[in-house]
Amino acid sequence: MDEIRIEGVGKTFLGKSEVTALVDFSLIIGRGQFVTLLGPSGCGKSTLLRMVNGVEPVTEGHISIFGVPPDQARREKQFGFVPQSPALMPWRTVRRNVNLLNEVNRGATEHDPLPKARVDELLHAVGLDAFLDAYPATLSGGMQQRVSLVRAFASGAPVLLMDEPFAALDEITRGSMRYLLLDLWATSGTTVLFVTHSLDEAVILSDRVAVMASRPGRIVAEEAIALPRPRREELEDSHDFHRHVAQLRAALRSSWVR
Amino acid sequence: MKNGSRTGRSLRTLAPVLGVLGFFVLWELIVRVLDVPTFELPAPSRVLQEIADHPGLYWHQALPTIREAALGFAISLLVAVPVGSLLAHSRVAERATWPVIVLLMVTPVVAYAPAMVVWLGFGTTPILMVVVLISTPPLILGTIIGLRSVDPATLELMESVNASRREVYFKLRLPSALPQLFTATRVALSLALVGALLGEFFAGVTEGLGWMISRSQANPIQQALPLWACVFVLAAIGTAAFTLVAVLERTLLHWHSSQQF
Repeated sequence: MDEIRIEGVGKTFLGKSEVTALVDFSLIIGRGQFVTLLGPSGCGKSTLLRMVNGVEPVTEGHISIFGVPPDQARREKQFGFVPQSPALMPWRTVRRNVNLLNEVNRGATEHDPLPKARVDELLHAVGLDAFLDAYPATLSGGMQQRVSLVRAFASGAPVLLMDEPFAALDEITRGSMRYLLLDLWATSGTTVLFVTHSLDEAVILSDRVAVMASRPGRIVAEEAIALPRPRREELEDSHDFHRHVAQLRAALRSSWVR
Repeated sequence: MKNGSRTGRSLRTLAPVLGVLGFFVLWELIVRVLDVPTFELPAPSRVLQEIADHPGLYWHQALPTIREAALGFAISLLVAVPVGSLLAHSRVAERATWPVIVLLMVTPVVAYAPAMVVWLGFGTTPILMVVVLISTPPLILGTIIGLRSVDPATLELMESVNASRREVYFKLRLPSALPQLFTATRVALSLALVGALLGEFFAGVTEGLGWMISRSQANPIQQALPLWACVFVLAAIGTAAFTLVAVLERTLLHWHSSQQF
């Protein structure tokens, strides 16, 4: 029961015409693991994330979050969500934005939000100490996304769902954000389900990568990334790193329709 | 520092003041040089003199008009925000109400103001009714558009932790709606002043700037100065209201991009 189980999940959107977003998707994620969904746009990565989150019902199959259904897990505040845009409230300071998830749906949690001292450590780790009373409009895109990351960790939620959180950042900023995320995650004990379409990102961050294809959305390969942790920037120059990237690329290519 | 020098910046701050001053100086000059008779167009200096000569009179006439406009606007706001919130919540309700709101907005209030007097009798009540009818629709629209302008990603974030509707409304939707609400407030306030004047024309009251204007009109040649004095007082009231809103906006919306300089 100490894992996230996604078993034979399918999703069909009913509308003027039926759209099959996802077929027969299975994945098991152990507690504390960092697992990435890698695939092109429209392969159902985000839909899967929403189903795990319990905001989108599954059409087929079964999902359980440490033994409970997604909707119940959501009501118990088991999830910290990091969307693609920072989604900060512009009328709140950095500190109050970070605290947002702890202010809503109070008392529903089986876990405690991080103590203030620990949140301060996280804010320090991402270099935001000097900006606690700043408003989002005065921060750069990268800084805003760091606030968004800390907000998810600050909720103390055991499962973090990240939907391409670095996709809108420039290449240099996103390069450093990846290692920042690893630093935050390393000491948190949280389970992360991460969505990306970047091969490098998937290899740098993950314990395992589920490679997906589209039309219909499905899983085509599951690769373990057996690189030692903690991982540092030098990793990207290593032979092992390139080998993993090549493997993922091959898996993606195998699904191409020619 | 943008726009360089200190003189450049103080010039930018002074520019609006200079503009208004220039307008009045030009007016004064035209009247004096062309020797325009007072009943056609009095010089601004004479109008100001008229107000300075009878400050009590104009103050007493201004008070009821301000009261009607302010009270009517307050009622509008109290009606519009809850109604707008309900409508923003339901597409069906919005579609059903929309035509009525548009009808209210496109029908000139002058047309149905006399009917208010027939229904509600003479006095302050029909005036308030006119003010409310004219200033509520833009506030409702502002509320709906504002509440809908919420960032979808932030909404999804709130959903991900099962935030209640109440939490989403007060923590996310209402603050998101504030910029739109302020824009609507500017429109509604100037309309409220129009409504108060118009109400006084029809409602058989014997005080207020609207009453004074309609009385002066019966005697335009002798009463030109009081008429223009009323116009000046109204302009001052409008300016004061706008300034008040601007200050409030600066305080409440300091985080918003429109307030960054």
